[in-house]
Amino acid sequence: MKTLSRMAIALAGGLLITTTGCEFPPIDTVQLGFRGVGMEHVANPRTVQDSVDAVLAREPFVPGPPDEFGDPAPPGTWENVQVLGHLSEAEFNRFKLAMTTWVAAATGEGCNYCHVIEDSGEVNFASDAKYQKVVSRSMISMTQTANVEYAAHVGEAGVNCWTCHQGQVQPVNRWYFGDRPDPPSAGSMIERPQWERHYLDRDDARLINQTALSRNREENVSLQDTEYTYWLMIQMSEHLGVNCTYCHTSARFSDWDESPPQRVHAMRGLDMVRTMNMEYIVPLTDELPEHRLGPEGDGAKINCATCHAGAWKPQYGLPATHGIDWPALMQIGVSHPTGNGAADAGEELSGAP
Amino acid sequence: MAEYQNLFTQVQVRHAPDPGVPVPDGENRIPDSGFSYWLGKIGDAQLGPVYLGWLGILSLITGGLSIILMGLVMWSSVAWDPIQFVRLLPWLAVEPPAPEYGLSIPPLAEGGWWLLCGFLLTVSIILWWFRMYTRARALGMGTHVAWSFAAAIWLYLVLGFIRPLLMGSWGEAVPFGIFPHLDWTAAFSIRYGNLFYNPFHMLSIAFLYGSALLFAMHAATILAVAKMGGEREIDQITDRGTAAERSQLFWRWTMGFNATMESIHRWAWWFASLTVITGGIGIVLTGTAVENWYFWGQQHGLIPIYPEVYEAPVPPPLPGELDGQHIGPPPEGLPGVSSSMEAGPSFALPGTEAHVSFASTLNQEVAR
Repeated sequence: MKTLSRMAIALAGGLLITTTGCEFPPIDTVQLGFRGVGMEHVANPRTVQDSVDAVLAREPFVPGPPDEFGDPAPPGTWENVQVLGHLSEAEFNRFKLAMTTWVAAATGEGCNYCHVIEDSGEVNFASDAKYQKVVSRSMISMTQTANVEYAAHVGEAGVNCWTCHQGQVQPVNRWYFGDRPDPPSAGSMIERPQWERHYLDRDDARLINQTALSRNREENVSLQDTEYTYWLMIQMSEHLGVNCTYCHTSARFSDWDESPPQRVHAMRGLDMVRTMNMEYIVPLTDELPEHRLGPEGDGAKINCATCHAGAWKPQYGLPATHGIDWPALMQIGVSHPTGNGAADAGEELSGAP
Repeated sequence: MAEYQNLFTQVQVRHAPDPGVPVPDGENRIPDSGFSYWLGKIGDAQLGPVYLGWLGILSLITGGLSIILMGLVMWSSVAWDPIQFVRLLPWLAVEPPAPEYGLSIPPLAEGGWWLLCGFLLTVSIILWWFRMYTRARALGMGTHVAWSFAAAIWLYLVLGFIRPLLMGSWGEAVPFGIFPHLDWTAAFSIRYGNLFYNPFHMLSIAFLYGSALLFAMHAATILAVAKMGGEREIDQITDRGTAAERSQLFWRWTMGFNATMESIHRWAWWFASLTVITGGIGIVLTGTAVENWYFWGQQHGLIPIYPEVYEAPVPPPLPGELDGQHIGPPPEGLPGVSSSMEAGPSFALPGTEAHVSFASTLNQEVAR
């Protein structure tokens, strides 16, 4: 009897240790491809529900419907407006008000998070003295580029500031050189974080040769480069909350024909991330104050998680994440002409391609 | 009956430790022997005598040094923080050199430690193999244990030495580390077009699962006749009961055929050894002779064709989207070393007769 109870205790202890990483059933499985080939999306419905609830609890205040038929404001209405010159005055104000919620809500500073208050107590909207304003302009331009040039990824609905910022000055999911994810994931403790380059300047994650037999050894991609791609893929999987087979066909990961359509979508997303980082975000590094820099002196950069945050669609497609209701963001912005009809001075600063 | 043992026996017999049979070359055994109550729960309660010898001593030194070095390299990678070392241990690694180093000897911090740890570990394992061999010989036994251990060493050497040699780069080898070696395994399979289509991988799995099945059948049979003394081989020689007959009749009743007391162990030995022998053959062919096991499988009729399932066809990447070009130089301050991929060629996708439909789609896109 004593032995039995001892064995029971040992068994219970063993179960406890070996199952701490497990989740309670039931887990939802969605078939994504042909039966029996492991093309499945697996999700814990309770975790997803919690995540959806958190998204709904954060939903931002939206100041009224868009003034989409408004003509651009007459020249001279504003000073130093470089990327929102296509807006009417009403739409301009609506958008600015929304930005205080989207981005600056956590600071409680409203307009003054970006705009300078003069000694006289008046707000100098034209001044670029605060780095926040310079950064915002580039970010608006970046969002316009996303909605116009990357419609293949962001869709007809587009995106706005809230999609990533969610009321925070910096999106929660961002990365710096030398970062290590915590909790760690595949490859995260390696000395050389080469996968980061896929978010920056490198397009070539492909490494599988499409021939049966080995031919030219010189053309082979090494196993270490394979692992960089593998870690990139694991990161994407975690950032989007999906398995490999959400995008890849299970028998052959390199195949495009039999892949789910999401794969091309994701590839264009990576392309967008690279453009955003290299053309909009990295060039801002010099503007940033010390406390916004990472340990190696670089500014925050984005990856898939910045918008997706673990969901296959950012905030599960919440309408508040869409850009379609914001004329400010749905076209490449132009500079607002000054009153005397001269060409705008800020064109070269605008950052728009 | 000094060596009587049985999982069901609640009594442990204590007597003077049994020094074992006298053999000519037995002086190096450490004479101290004792008894352990807990070891007696799972096996013979007697601990020792151990035969160490110079092979054993050198093997323990090189093996211990290798493990300690691995630990130190991993610890240094978390800046010697003991808490982080314990917390992150499953993710820490001793990585092989970067592919740029080929088969040369890199600086310690760039893969040299991996080479050193691997060398020491290999020396340790090979010395241990000789120890298995000489001890078996000294006892007048066959050398079956040593040869089945050699089969496992074959797979170990293929992964860490033979295949990297054939590929011309230490960087092809497996890192030391808990999750890192698993990541390597996954990446290896994906890189070479899905290892599940490698017939030697299939054989290895068949032998592995077969080993488990044989182990279960054999163990269950002997336990089932334990009450007839079926596990007491000395008794069966001198004072035979009916345990063997019963267990063998059991299998003839249930499946018409039985292994013999001897042949069951040959089955088990070959299944276990072939698991790693075939596995090693599968690995050594991968990347050296066969580039993509999926395409190899397609040429040999292994690959089923599944029906189209997506209502909307996959929108193909636009021309140029798959060219593998860089959109620009990396930003200033990017840490880390370069990678061979940077200068590497881009592959035409997919470019084989076996799978041209994507290429034709792409051509249509270009034509438009």
